[in-house]
Amino acid sequence: MLGAADDVRTDLLLPARVDRATCRGGVGAPTPPTAREALEPLLVDVRKPAQYVGGEHNMVVKDWGSTDVRWLLCYPDTYEVGQPNQGIQILYEILNGRPTTLAERAYAPWMDLEERMRARGIPTFSLERHSPLWAFDVFAVTLPHELGHTNLLNLLDLGGVALRSSDRDEQDPIVLVGGHAAFNPEPLAPFIDAAVMGDGEEVVIEIDDVVRAAKRDGRTRAELLRALAHVEGVYVPSLYEARYTDDGRLARTVPVGAGLPTLVPKRTVQDLEEWPYPRRQIVPMTETVHERFSVEIFRGCTRGCRFCQAGMITRPVRERRPETVQRLVEEGVADTGFEEVGLLSLSSADHSAIAPIARSLGDTYEGTVTSLSLPSTRVDAFNVTLSNELTRNGRRSGLTFAPEAGSERMRAVINKMVSEEDLLRTAEVAFSQGWRQIKLYFMVGLPTETDEDVLAIADLGIAVYRIARAHGKANKVTLSVGGFVPKPHTPFQWAPQDTPEEIRRKLTLIRQRIRTHDGIKLRTNDPEEGVIEGLLARGDRRVAEVVERAWRLGARFDGWHEVPTLPLWHQALADTGVELAWYSQRQRDEDEVLPWDHLDSGLEKGWLWEDWEDARRAVQLDDCRWSPCYDCGVCPGLDLVHDTGYQPGALLPVIPNAPKDLGGSSDGALPTAAERYAAGQVTR
Amino acid sequence: MSVRYRVRWTKEGRTRFVSARDQSSIWERAIRRADLPIAYSEGFTPHARVSFPDALPVGVASTGEYAELTFAAPISADHDLARLSDTLPDGMDILTYTEVPAGAPKLASLLRATLWELVWPPVDATALTTLLGRRCSTLLVSTSHEVVRHRHDGDRTLDVRPAVVELAVAPGPDPDGSGTRTTLRAVLLNDAPTIRPADLLAALSEKDIAPPALVRRVAQGAPEAGGVVEALSGGVEPVRPGVVAEAA
Repeated sequence: MLGAADDVRTDLLLPARVDRATCRGGVGAPTPPTAREALEPLLVDVRKPAQYVGGEHNMVVKDWGSTDVRWLLCYPDTYEVGQPNQGIQILYEILNGRPTTLAERAYAPWMDLEERMRARGIPTFSLERHSPLWAFDVFAVTLPHELGHTNLLNLLDLGGVALRSSDRDEQDPIVLVGGHAAFNPEPLAPFIDAAVMGDGEEVVIEIDDVVRAAKRDGRTRAELLRALAHVEGVYVPSLYEARYTDDGRLARTVPVGAGLPTLVPKRTVQDLEEWPYPRRQIVPMTETVHERFSVEIFRGCTRGCRFCQAGMITRPVRERRPETVQRLVEEGVADTGFEEVGLLSLSSADHSAIAPIARSLGDTYEGTVTSLSLPSTRVDAFNVTLSNELTRNGRRSGLTFAPEAGSERMRAVINKMVSEEDLLRTAEVAFSQGWRQIKLYFMVGLPTETDEDVLAIADLGIAVYRIARAHGKANKVTLSVGGFVPKPHTPFQWAPQDTPEEIRRKLTLIRQRIRTHDGIKLRTNDPEEGVIEGLLARGDRRVAEVVERAWRLGARFDGWHEVPTLPLWHQALADTGVELAWYSQRQRDEDEVLPWDHLDSGLEKGWLWEDWEDARRAVQLDDCRWSPCYDCGVCPGLDLVHDTGYQPGALLPVIPNAPKDLGGSSDGALPTAAERYAAGQVTR
Repeated sequence: MSVRYRVRWTKEGRTRFVSARDQSSIWERAIRRADLPIAYSEGFTPHARVSFPDALPVGVASTGEYAELTFAAPISADHDLARLSDTLPDGMDILTYTEVPAGAPKLASLLRATLWELVWPPVDATALTTLLGRRCSTLLVSTSHEVVRHRHDGDRTLDVRPAVVELAVAPGPDPDGSGTRTTLRAVLLNDAPTIRPADLLAALSEKDIAPPALVRRVAQGAPEAGGVVEALSGGVEPVRPGVVAEAA
């Protein structure tokens, strides 16, 4: 064969340790070898090759040798899924804004490319310059959920970095995790060097400084880890020991050695106005799951939905000013050319100035091709009015609401404050104003759930569908039903998880009940999918052996339907002797020590237990933004109370009186959230 | 009053892995960044009126891509298309443009032939040049040469020869200065059945030539002895680099 280039690269994956050391040096370090030329010939044979090339608008490529701390930021899933992640983009911009810090990005290669990379000796690489993972000082991985754990192990192994923290030395990057699943990193404890809890904006700078000082002073890896453990919000698992009782329960997780916090606090950014990021958002060159310019309009949520980990661990509520939102959107749309704008938060209609924000953006983009979207998952007619405002340019295709449970009793248990009357009125308003489709999100497998509660999901769907049909024969209703997975730091952290068989039985009940209604579409996930998530969500350090075994057996992309990894996990559980039911299906007692008890989300464990007891008695709890504080524990110690908004009147006139009929026409005035609350429209 | 422009542009470097499907949104967003008054289609989901005459296989580089842009208002073409070129991703650059008069023939009808370039890495340059040269001569004197194109939906037999206008092989210096690269340039007709560089290589190789490191669509236009007459500029792109072909 003439003209064939060398097949296997030997320099990319396993350069001599001395070469690694020079690339890892401070200012003046040589640029590490790039994998680009070795990679490119492989790309013509793999799915969606553009995800591997980088080169997007707003990518930042800094000079390697002009910087002295270098981060590789990673979302451990495909580019298509991970690129839109806001956390990575915020940190990318903040870190690259520091003159002597460099940050590049990495995502998980799909299995077709991974196989070819392994055959050719190509390591986990960055998109910016296709630098190998081992050349960076910090490998920072965001874990928005638990289904990226095996991908994290795979990226380390593929990147030439020892799998276990205890096997790494000064020539390996520091492996950090953040994101929601970092609030229980115990199932990853042996593989990570540190977990960072809470908001990343400030702590990432402190970590950057600590790494810089350690490099400058020639500290050992052990010294660096100890220094990181003293940064507020950083948990170094190797400096903590998990002790167990004779019956196998956790006794305590305690620091090894003096001076370390027994309770590691999360980080909370007090004023989002100081962190108006990400501004220069990456514009992907290939399809991703959310292609839009996104602005986080507030962080945190206090609606108190008891199943919702995000709502619990991101408290308190901190809003962005309406004029800042407007400015970020205008500058961002002009800078990126995106056609769509997303106003993000956990419950966007709850911004205290959402009405003026929506009206102002609606005015700005009326008559253009720019569309605005609000992830509208809360059920009330106001959301329809708001969505009308955001869709002046004419697209009224579908609305999404999340009642989460079918019966009034079940919604009281989960503290989702919406009545059937609310939902039906909302549907009436939506379909009468030209919306064609409503999608409703529900869960089954919730604590105390009976078959009656399950069937109420179907009945509610049927009732909404009757309204839909009354307004047009082609109108549609979709019921999307998932299996509930209990999560740490929530009132449901003590609850047993339904088995896949039980979830399947409940889904069948719903399917049978709606069978005669052709216009209702039922969307469900495979009930098996919650099994791995449930195990990892509430697992302890002993589950780490299962994670490694599952990965060695070939598990990756556990969140993908295309990749059925559950049999590998069952094999891994059998091989390691870990009992799934003990972790997932067991109801915990009040006095049981939980694997995340030493990690402080701000919520008092005592308050969580009370709320769990209230849940089982179907007692609801108000949103504390507009009702008296119930002492969940988050606010004391922070220099703020709940941010119920800047004065929206500073930009646009406040609506003086909340109209009584909030389902009103699109030209009616929009009340603020607080006003709606006062008018009694938001709750039961 | 809408105005139409045709541009010749490049798809080099990283952008050669962009699919034809993703290409449209890249252009639409670049046009929005450049704030140009692009015209939009009617309908439920309006699209910017940017059209591309044909798709380039993923991974292939090009200095011979074309596009037709319709603007809803006059633009200052020199200035505005330069700004558009600047804001397109690195590797995508606008080389030339022409305003399209009313009644002009369709862009696709001007792109009758393509000048392709296949480049091998700097190994075996002398042997490879000799071998390719011999095979090219054989192909050029034949009247027919069938190859089988393998696709996921089945194999297809194609005659390569009718599409071949001209072939040239030459060794050239490696841009990195690390050796001699082998370059094959070919003028192929675009008429159906379309023959791609992979089909040409299948005709030239007897399983003894490695796939080239890079394939490039150099330019498109009218076929001519010695090269193609580039569609927008009217200049000749020679099949033998460094040799300006004389019109036959």
